[in-house]
Amino acid sequence: MRPAAGLGLLALALAVAPLALPPFFLQLLTEIAIVGLFATAFNLLMGFGGMVSFGHAAYFALGAYTAALLVKRAGVPLLLALPAAPVVAAAGALLFGVFIVRLSHTYFAMLSLAFAQIVFTVIFKWKALTGGDDGLLDVWPPGLLKSPAAYYYFTLAIVGLCIVALHAIVDSPFGYALKAVRENPRRARYIGIDVRRHQLAAFVISGAFSGVAGGLFAFYNGSVFPDFAYFTKSFEPLVVALLGGVQSFFGPLAGALGFKILEWMISRQWPVYWPLFLGSIVIVVIVLLPAGFVGLVRGLPWRTRPPAKA
Amino acid sequence: MRARVKHATSALLTLMLVLIGAVVPAAAQGKPPIRIGEINSYSGLATVYTFPYKEGLLMAAKEINDAGGVLGRPIEFIFRDDKLKPDEAVKAARELVGQEKVDFLAGCISSGVGLAISAYAKEAKTLYFATHCQTSRLTWDDGHKYVAHTTNNVNQYIRALAKKAATLPYKKWAHISPDYEYGHNVWEEFISYLKQLKPDVQVMQENWPKLGETDHSSYVTALLQSNAEAFISAVWGAQEIAFVKQARPFGLFEKVKYVSASVGNPDELDPLGKEAPVGALTPGFAWYDEGMQKRHPKLAEWVKKYETRAKKEPTLGASWGYASAYIIAEAIKRAKSAETDKVIAALGEGYEMEFPWGKVIMRGCDMQAIPPQWTGVVKMNAQGKPVLADIEESHGKDVIRSCDEVAKLRALAAEKKK
Amino acid sequence: MSWITNGPLITVQVMSGLSVGMLLFLVSVGMSLIFGVTRIVNLAHGCFYMVGAYLMVTLVEILPDRPWAFWVALLLAPLGVAALGGVIEIGLLRLIYRRDPLMQLILTFGLILVIGTLVLLAWGPDNKSVSRPEALAGSVRIFGQPFPSYYVLVLALAPLTAVALWLVFYRTRWGMLVRAATVDREMLGALGVNVAALYTQVFVFGSWLAGFGGALAAPTVAVALGMDGDVLTTAFVVVVIGGLGSFAGSFIGALLVGLLQSFGILVFPAVSIVLLFAIMAVVLIVRPWGLLGRPDA
Repeated sequence: MRPAAGLGLLALALAVAPLALPPFFLQLLTEIAIVGLFATAFNLLMGFGGMVSFGHAAYFALGAYTAALLVKRAGVPLLLALPAAPVVAAAGALLFGVFIVRLSHTYFAMLSLAFAQIVFTVIFKWKALTGGDDGLLDVWPPGLLKSPAAYYYFTLAIVGLCIVALHAIVDSPFGYALKAVRENPRRARYIGIDVRRHQLAAFVISGAFSGVAGGLFAFYNGSVFPDFAYFTKSFEPLVVALLGGVQSFFGPLAGALGFKILEWMISRQWPVYWPLFLGSIVIVVIVLLPAGFVGLVRGLPWRTRPPAKA
Repeated sequence: MRARVKHATSALLTLMLVLIGAVVPAAAQGKPPIRIGEINSYSGLATVYTFPYKEGLLMAAKEINDAGGVLGRPIEFIFRDDKLKPDEAVKAARELVGQEKVDFLAGCISSGVGLAISAYAKEAKTLYFATHCQTSRLTWDDGHKYVAHTTNNVNQYIRALAKKAATLPYKKWAHISPDYEYGHNVWEEFISYLKQLKPDVQVMQENWPKLGETDHSSYVTALLQSNAEAFISAVWGAQEIAFVKQARPFGLFEKVKYVSASVGNPDELDPLGKEAPVGALTPGFAWYDEGMQKRHPKLAEWVKKYETRAKKEPTLGASWGYASAYIIAEAIKRAKSAETDKVIAALGEGYEMEFPWGKVIMRGCDMQAIPPQWTGVVKMNAQGKPVLADIEESHGKDVIRSCDEVAKLRALAAEKKK
Repeated sequence: MSWITNGPLITVQVMSGLSVGMLLFLVSVGMSLIFGVTRIVNLAHGCFYMVGAYLMVTLVEILPDRPWAFWVALLLAPLGVAALGGVIEIGLLRLIYRRDPLMQLILTFGLILVIGTLVLLAWGPDNKSVSRPEALAGSVRIFGQPFPSYYVLVLALAPLTAVALWLVFYRTRWGMLVRAATVDREMLGALGVNVAALYTQVFVFGSWLAGFGGALAAPTVAVALGMDGDVLTTAFVVVVIGGLGSFAGSFIGALLVGLLQSFGILVFPAVSIVLLFAIMAVVLIVRPWGLLGRPDA
């Protein structure tokens, strides 16, 4: 099957899904699309940029809260509130990213986690603004978009646009430069690529699209809570991307589909055992990953020294 | 790249087909039983509360069904795990309502989850019976016609506690409460009611450890230095166990009277054992107490039945699970129908039910349960096990906010949302 | 805050902070050690602490009710955890040696979920507790202020452990190999040392330390599900501040964090939750390798 035909068939299947599937499954697909976007944005950083962040939930949450607050407190319509989500998320990613990209590897991951926990704590404690651990409730899309089918199409459209944009970024000169940086930062620098700038840009783009996912999720869920920023949420795109395959652009999307369905099926039968299952899946995926990923990973233990202090 | 796109696309398509395949057979269902979707935390650390609660719920369901069911139909609970996350709860609610086509929703232990399900229920126009979670916001500030609360709320049992505390000769109070919604709720309810009853009460110190704090030694020191005569703790569960263990050797409980919102519960008293804070004033379900069993002759039998079934002693949560099932069944019975609007109307009229531990009133204006309230003092029994004694019984109706006050709260909250 | 000039009170508070810090040290030094040699941040370290505490509960229950039972349990519980560590290292981590340490880190995250559920299945959901041994259940007077006797034990044991660890790392051949491995593993392998075996030994030793920390801490906290998360976060902050891979760094970091937690709320009540993570962030920004770590890590 040629790729174009395959994609076309997929698009057709997605388009007619509301005719074949009951509303709950449309909602499940909506969630899968959102998680797929989050994971793809995350993978821009991990798979293509070679940087593993443990704090991406922060940008997801920033996006979700921005959209929710604008709609609830400022009465802004959804179509204006949603674009604000990636803006705020990108700002957050820029603010934190400036510090995070100066580090490498384990320290990169740990600082990203620390910042995410700070975001979580601020959301949790700033009750007057965010509602604290009571969250913000009744954040539903407006009448037109309320039905499961309508919001499903809306989400597919937005996610589709974002995926196209991300794909364009990955396939652009910037994307190739990013991959070069991932493979060998020193060589990249020698041929004139500004390593830091590229990494920071990737971080901000990744954060921005995570924010879109967050915004979409806010209206899908109907409420936002501080645990959107908790570090366990940060592991979701990671696990999904790993499962689907970080070396491929569409891997995280496939991972999202497989993961969410698996989660739904297992959690309803054996809730106590779901964490056991999830942990085992993570372990199995890491142990059994094909050589291709190891080849990618061998590029990761670069150690970029912090820029010499002037 | 092409090969990978091809593979990924095939994978996606296959998975979609599997998804559709899984759905079609599941679609058609005949529904003689009355089905209630129950969402709670059945994995992780909340299980210490939810497992006994579920036992109580299922015990009641079996009794109801053995007696002929509700309107001749058996009552069936379908369980889902919320993983202590509000968004998972909403997802489960969607599945239960949209896919499983349940008649009603029930459940919650975490207040955030309860509020999230309630918001969804309002949207989906499905009646939701909040069970184990205790925030007063459910039926008051954030209340609406599609949510009922079948158990105690913070307002009632904390006020009952404050009422008893007001009879003690202490004017200078401090507190230690975890810094989140519930902790603030408890402290505010306690101190406002206490001041109402005893205007010369002074707040000497406020302590807000984070939820899940492990080391409280600095708070213990602070309390010792606060010049307070008594203090109330909203700290609960494992955190309270740690707090008590850490505070004891500092002599805190000898110097300052200890009032707790939850230390009387077996999940805390039993592990504490000989380290239990003897003399502490606290609410609790002391089914073993002689006085309780004399006042409530059916209690001992209920306990025995529960123990046979669950192989463990009952907890307060178990009684809530049991009561919730009956309250839901009663609402349907009174409505003579399982239709949402009719059941809401029946709830709106309010009713009372007798349980082995006393009378529970389901109030019509806010669909809030008003159960009996107990306070007791921690003592060591003859076997050296900590228990609650000197049980004093009152009723939530003596302290709960009136319907007018509730209406005002709702109006205030609606204002804030604008 | 009039007590701030109250000498005896400050002393007792400092000693409390140090005790807590010492328990934290036991957990953190294991994590730091494992990272130093294998470059893996072992996220499952909190689980080892938790299993150590739960094993204490069981051992105290099944041993006869005699004064020596507590001490025997304290000896045996960490050994159980060490065995668990060994099984995990040999059975799982060895399979992915060649992988990027970040992947190994993610695997340890998977372990958290697995071990957590296994603990729930094995011990049930109820909260548990270990009582302090009779002799140490009360308090002593320090300058007239009551101070828990059990903390005296901790304060005595911890420096002993620290000294013992120092002796192991700086006066034994094995310790020298471990220190060499933290500097340059490849060279060590090239010199003919069985690095794989060393990894296992270090991992087992690190888990033993965490298990010992958990067993020793058990009488001061509640033994309950979720205790792994709390200690993991704090230990994380400690090793970052002290420096991943540095033994002395863990010691100083643990003391600092213990004291901070003790005094933090008294001095900055509103900020204390964020404080730890903010400090961790600052350290990572300004000096990622921590106070006493090595820059190349």
